[in-house]
Formats: sequence, C-alpha cells, structure tokens
Amino acid sequence: MLKRIPLPDQFDRIIIGGGITVGAIGVPLGIVLVTLVAFGVISAPEMVFFVAAIIVILGALGCVLLPNIVHAALSLTATLIGVAALYLLLMSEFLALVQVLVYGGGVVLLLLFGLMMTNAQDDPVVTDGSQKPFAFLLVSLLVGTFITLLLSGDWGNPTAHVVPFELFGERLFREFALPIIVVAVLLDVAITGALVNVHTATDDLPEESE
Amino acid sequence: MIPIEYFLTLGAILFGLGLFGVLSRRSAILILMAVELMLAGVSINFIAFASYLDTDAFSGLIFALFVITVAAAEVGLALGIVLRLFRERRTSNVDEASDMRW
Repeated sequence: MLKRIPLPDQFDRIIIGGGITVGAIGVPLGIVLVTLVAFGVISAPEMVFFVAAIIVILGALGCVLLPNIVHAALSLTATLIGVAALYLLLMSEFLALVQVLVYGGGVVLLLLFGLMMTNAQDDPVVTDGSQKPFAFLLVSLLVGTFITLLLSGDWGNPTAHVVPFELFGERLFREFALPIIVVAVLLDVAITGALVNVHTATDDLPEESE
Repeated sequence: MIPIEYFLTLGAILFGLGLFGVLSRRSAILILMAVELMLAGVSINFIAFASYLDTDAFSGLIFALFVITVAAAEVGLALGIVLRLFRERRTSNVDEASDMRW
C-alpha cells in the first residue's frame, strides 16, 4: 500500500508513511484527550500518561514486528524516550535523565553501530516454521495472568512522592556502596571482555609490512 | 493523581512485548533490542513501586539504576560477541549459531 504513495524515490516510504499514519491517528486522539481533560473526565497528568503510553506501546510493537532492522531500532528509540517520560510522571527526574542519556544516546547508538558493522540484513526469512503463534500464546497467557493479578490486588490509594537528589545520592553511596563497587567491577569486566573478544578476531589477519 | 495500576499494567504489557520479540525474532541484534524492552518494563515496575509505596526507603529507584547500568554493560558485551560471530561466520542469525545446543 505504501508503495503507491507518490513520493520521490530517495525518501524512505516506511518512515514517511508511518509518520503520516501516526499523525492521522495522533491528531484526532490528541483532540479527544484534550476534550476529556477540558470536561474534567481525566486529569492533566493522566492525559500525559496516556500519550506516553501510546508512544511506548506503538514503539514496542514496531520494535518487535517491523521486518526492517533499522526501522525497528528507530521504534526502540521512540519507546525508550516514552519510558523516560513515564519516569518523569513517576516523579523520578534523575532516572529520566539517566534513561535519556544512557538509552536514548548510548545504547541505541551502539545498536546502530552494531547493525552497520555486521552488515545485518533484515530479520532472516523463516524457513522452518514461524515461532510467532507459540510466542503469542505464551505471552498472552503470561501478560493476562499479570494483569488479572495486579488488578485484583488492593493497592490502597497511594500517591507518588518526589525523592530529592540529595537523599537519593546519600542513600546510594552510603547504604549501597558495596553494590556500586560490584557494578563498577562488572562494567570493567564487560568492557575488557568486549575489547578482548573483538580484538582477537583480527589476530589471524596478515600483518602489515613494515 | 495517576493510579498505580496504570503503570503496572503498562510495565506488564511492555515486558510481554519484549518477550514476544525474544521468542519470535531470529536476528541476534533484534533479540537484543527486545531484551531492552523487557528491561524497560521491569524498570517501570520498580520505579512505580518505589515512588508510590516505598517512599521512605525508595530501594526500587536504586534497583532501576542498577538495571540500567547492567543493561548497558550487557549490550556492549553482547554486541562484541555478535561482531565476532559475524566475522567468523558472516551471519548474525541465531539459528545458524546453534553449535552448543544439545
């Protein structure tokens, strides 16, 4: 269907068509949400939550369903930025900052570099039977159980509280000092392991003449 | 105020979508992306519990920070392995790297 949109060839039809579709769905949805807020059916934070939740779920669907690997990576970026917005709604600014920095910047960039270096094609064509029906069955059972259980629980009526940066840092570096050190060692080992793993692969290449 | 159930439901859905991706994808890098989705779902749950129910100790926030750190380390290391696999076999399809499966 997207092939029939009259566009110059240098545009990526999936991205542009996806953007048009998202706009066509998103603008009426936004009008509906703003109207609901104006009539007092839902509060303003709830409206922000719904917008962020829609972005997160659509991005996650795109990430697991799109056949093109670069489109999946871009969808993942949208999801992770939406998750950062959810962290802001949960009153934890520090983690929202970390999420945008580490995921929005680092991890997605690393994944895209990995895509380029492995010259990865799209998701391989399945020849021995798709696992999607089995995966869908298992996931729907699991998520159904989760949601049934958590909706039947009695959570009271709690409200979110802000944790000040000072308290957070104090608790992090006093009571959790040992886990911080363990994580530091873990990061060190991971970086060293990745370097060693990639480096030894070049040993059997012919050495340059001096 | 937003009820806590909204966040928990969203976390469960995100975890489920990530699990679906892990089970159904064949490319190693796409599986890594789906793992990131699962970790994001778990982090949402941690932070929701911390900021709604555990406001004095807020251990969930610190756990979420550790989750993010470990996820970053995991992506770096796993991409190193995928790169190595690609150099040796010219593929990043996990079906073609099942030598150690019994």
